[in-house]
Amino acid sequence: MIGEARTVRWTAVGVGVALGVVIPAFLSDFLRSLAADAAIAGLIVLSLVVLTGLVGQISFCQYSFAAIGAFTVGSLVAGHHWDFWLALLVGVCFAASVGVLVAIPALRLSGLFLAILTIGVALFFDRFLLAPGTWDSFSGGTSSWRAGRPSFFGIGLKGEYAFYLFVFGALVLACLLVWNLRTGKTGRVLRAVRESEVAASTVGLNLTAWKLTAFGISAALAGLAGGLAAVRVGSVSAGSYGLLQSLLIAAIATVVGVGAIASAAAGGIFLVFIPEIIHHTPLSTQWFPLITGAALIFQLVYAPEGAVVDAETRIMRRFRRSTPEVPGEDSEVTERVLVRSS
Amino acid sequence: MALLDLEDVSIRFGGVQALLDVSLQVREGEIVGLIGPNGAGKTTLFNCITGVLGPDSGRMAYDGRELHGVKTHRRARLGIARTFQNLQLFGRMTVLENVMVPIDAFSQRTPVGDALRLPTARFEEHKATERARALLYFLDLLDVADFQAADLPVGMQRRLELARALASNPRLLLLDEPAAGLDARETAALADVLFRIREQFDVTMLLVDHDMALVMRACDHIYVLDFGRVISAGPPEQVRDDPEVVQAYLGEVA
Repeated sequence: MIGEARTVRWTAVGVGVALGVVIPAFLSDFLRSLAADAAIAGLIVLSLVVLTGLVGQISFCQYSFAAIGAFTVGSLVAGHHWDFWLALLVGVCFAASVGVLVAIPALRLSGLFLAILTIGVALFFDRFLLAPGTWDSFSGGTSSWRAGRPSFFGIGLKGEYAFYLFVFGALVLACLLVWNLRTGKTGRVLRAVRESEVAASTVGLNLTAWKLTAFGISAALAGLAGGLAAVRVGSVSAGSYGLLQSLLIAAIATVVGVGAIASAAAGGIFLVFIPEIIHHTPLSTQWFPLITGAALIFQLVYAPEGAVVDAETRIMRRFRRSTPEVPGEDSEVTERVLVRSS
Repeated sequence: MALLDLEDVSIRFGGVQALLDVSLQVREGEIVGLIGPNGAGKTTLFNCITGVLGPDSGRMAYDGRELHGVKTHRRARLGIARTFQNLQLFGRMTVLENVMVPIDAFSQRTPVGDALRLPTARFEEHKATERARALLYFLDLLDVADFQAADLPVGMQRRLELARALASNPRLLLLDEPAAGLDARETAALADVLFRIREQFDVTMLLVDHDMALVMRACDHIYVLDFGRVISAGPPEQVRDDPEVVQAYLGEVA
């Protein structure tokens, strides 16, 4: 019956990927570019699936890590005429190293204090690193950045559909890698650290190393998102990587749930397409944060683990053995039941 | 030579002298008991040995090696494992995963190998699963391998703590009240489990428990702790008849 559950899971993944490829083929170029944005946002949600979902750490500065990827790719490609792929690799590594750096003061913090620290990091990026002028000396002025679309093994990605497929492929690949991490030693060890730090260290886990690893992987995913966003838009501006963006994506990640890989897709779609839908109603898109807030409250009450995680649990439960019961040992309870019924 | 050798270990929390000049030896292959009224400092001593707390003064040597400055996870690698009085299982993980974590901690697998599912990672995963299942079988937990640890009854959780501690292949096993919350039948079975562990895993044990029948039956040597000091030490019969020990226990009741 476990085998059946696995079939269901991989069928769902197959259908999801197929829909992700086919549906945008019938959309306008504008909606395709939005779909690419959604896939990029999905990578940021995925970075939270690693950090919050596995090791239980909070971060409100994921877009700051994304900014590192974006500004590195933007300045190297546009300002220094680097090859896109090399620039992307550098950007991802750079973002990962900054993630590890941020994690060092965060090691002894958790919960509220960690949240405040990451807000501090995001504000530092907003006010200093991403402020106009800081990167100009390196790249000759952000206003002149024009990072063109790259090509993928000789296939140009200038068309919106081709570019969407490229970004979507990156998201699917990243999800697959995170899935492997989650089901392997890394996922087990990180969850153990989340569950009990004292037990994790007494069984021989180096808490410091593993927390830094988690932050590094998470920041690398965010950096990848930033690098892709840089060539998606073709230019880089500080405004799209602010604290508010990080707060919003953290809220959305909570609504969909950080316990499932599928949340990456759902979260990206939520962030990009709900405002677009609102745009076609009499309401202003200013209402989006309010709607997200309301969704957050509903989710916390009715599906504390997150909407996608909740749905996944409900579906998978049907394909597992009916309600699990701990066998044996509870003779006392059995006796009590017998006494009552007699 | 003693496997674990503590000399004049002291630690103070604010105004409370939790441990005062505690000296204690555990020889290879022994089961040594550590008893004393609540608040005597038994768990504090365990925390010092595993490196969760650093003592203010005194020396701790393990296998002839000074433990001062050795981090908790390093001590685990040297072969020191423990169970917890207030259970510290990985609650929202399965029973099998709980036992696999210490095996993982010793393996060389990297996140890169995991992400790419390299053959070595898959082989290690297979090996870890097999070993964990063998340990679960040994402690009669194989039937519940796929359950969440938090969902088990206390008796099984205590055994799971034992299985997890054994998974790191320890030479010295610190047991913090393994019989707490167990009924008389389970406690009797526990003593047999401890003997079997000593036989099959070649493990030395330091056992803290309030269940005198268990301690008297299982231990070769007993230390009695009261208000952070060792007030008596010796073989079970001698300690049981020591007037000072009787007073420490009865004094607590009065």
